[in-house]
Amino acid sequence: MGLIRLIILSLFIFTHVQADSIYNLIKIPNLEIYEINTSNKLRYLYAKQPFTIGVDNNINCYNSEKKVLDKKYKIIQKNLDRYDQKFLKKINLKYIVLCEDLSISKINTAGISDNIIKTLILDVKFNESYFERVIHHEVFHIINDSYKELFDEKIWSNFNVKKFKYEECSTCTDKLGLDTYKSTDGFFTEYSRSTASEDMAEVFSHLMIGSNLDNIDPILEKKIQFIKTSLLKIDQNFIL
Amino acid sequence: MIEKIKASKSEKIIFIFIIFLAVFSFGSFLLLKDKCLFVKDYDFQKITFDNPKDIAVLNVPCGNVIIELYPDISPNAVKRFRTLVESKAYDDVAFHRVIKDALVQAGDLEFGKKGNIDYGKIGTGKSGLGTINSETDSPFNFDKGSVGLARTQKYNTEDSQFFIILRDEPLYETEYTPIGKVIYGLKALVKIKYLDKSQYVLRPDYINSLRMLIN
Repeated sequence: MGLIRLIILSLFIFTHVQADSIYNLIKIPNLEIYEINTSNKLRYLYAKQPFTIGVDNNINCYNSEKKVLDKKYKIIQKNLDRYDQKFLKKINLKYIVLCEDLSISKINTAGISDNIIKTLILDVKFNESYFERVIHHEVFHIINDSYKELFDEKIWSNFNVKKFKYEECSTCTDKLGLDTYKSTDGFFTEYSRSTASEDMAEVFSHLMIGSNLDNIDPILEKKIQFIKTSLLKIDQNFIL
Repeated sequence: MIEKIKASKSEKIIFIFIIFLAVFSFGSFLLLKDKCLFVKDYDFQKITFDNPKDIAVLNVPCGNVIIELYPDISPNAVKRFRTLVESKAYDDVAFHRVIKDALVQAGDLEFGKKGNIDYGKIGTGKSGLGTINSETDSPFNFDKGSVGLARTQKYNTEDSQFFIILRDEPLYETEYTPIGKVIYGLKALVKIKYLDKSQYVLRPDYINSLRMLIN
């Protein structure tokens, strides 16, 4: 019994030590290492306990059950393994935080990216239908934040028909649908219509998961070419 | 006439016990005051090194800390460190950031010098030599005793500040530029002054000297 107590106590001390180091690096509390021995040097962390961060503590996320983490980690890793270490370094992405019920200002979200702290927080319980695509969508936000000059929103907006205008922000609208249109008219999804940045992220994510591009319209074709050309400026070897 | 009273056996025992207690208390006080008491001070002159030209000797309050530098892993960072060591720039510089049993950091040449320490700015000072690029691509095992160059939140901002880790930090690989490892005397760093409530130390310990074994 004493031995068990000692083991439990030593585990607590060990994990607490890791949490300190992680906090010093990315300023997110209550995290532990999930996996760091990865081919592209991404470091997967998970929430041991709920955490709150951000301006006015407006970002919240909760710890997940191990079986959920184990299941979703495989999916996330499979998708993120498509980005090599060199590319990840260029876009400033290193830490993947796994947690559930992620929200920003009480609005649920699939992911939150921050290229300054090289971190992508992912909600492992986000809608399964879009889960893999959402991973790439969030990666695009990191790419975009690191290379603002390559993804000029004015140029992008000019691809659309003249009367179309994006919203002020991605949460300033009810256009949140993530189902891919069967017949496109410049956009892949309803959510694409929210902001230029979200539109770009939707195009990128559809390219990454290999969506059917046989029947796309000319506007979307221009957008796809724009994304492809810009990505090659970041890394000539990037493969979509 | 005053009658001489002979102490009983129990009184003698109590007297001896009090004397013993006093000696013990005084001795403990002296021992506890000397934080370096059980720290071995390594004499670098009695040690044979494989690469003596890459050995730096850091002298701190509890003795010598012997660091082997790795120019093959981080050539520019080691070159910068060596330049500053050879100019004796690190002498009398504070260990301004210390996390108990985890890390000691020193090397703020602008705001961390003894007699001229600026607690409001310490940790932000520069060497005057400019920043250098991070060298984080080579695989490096950041285990206990590893020495790295500190930086701001951005890469390529390394200058003069360095840290030594007192426990394994696997997440530091590809995050910080490694410059070497402590091969003797890590215990002397465990004794560097720290605060429980802050990483930044008020009235810190200082580097006595930092020299290359061979100039």
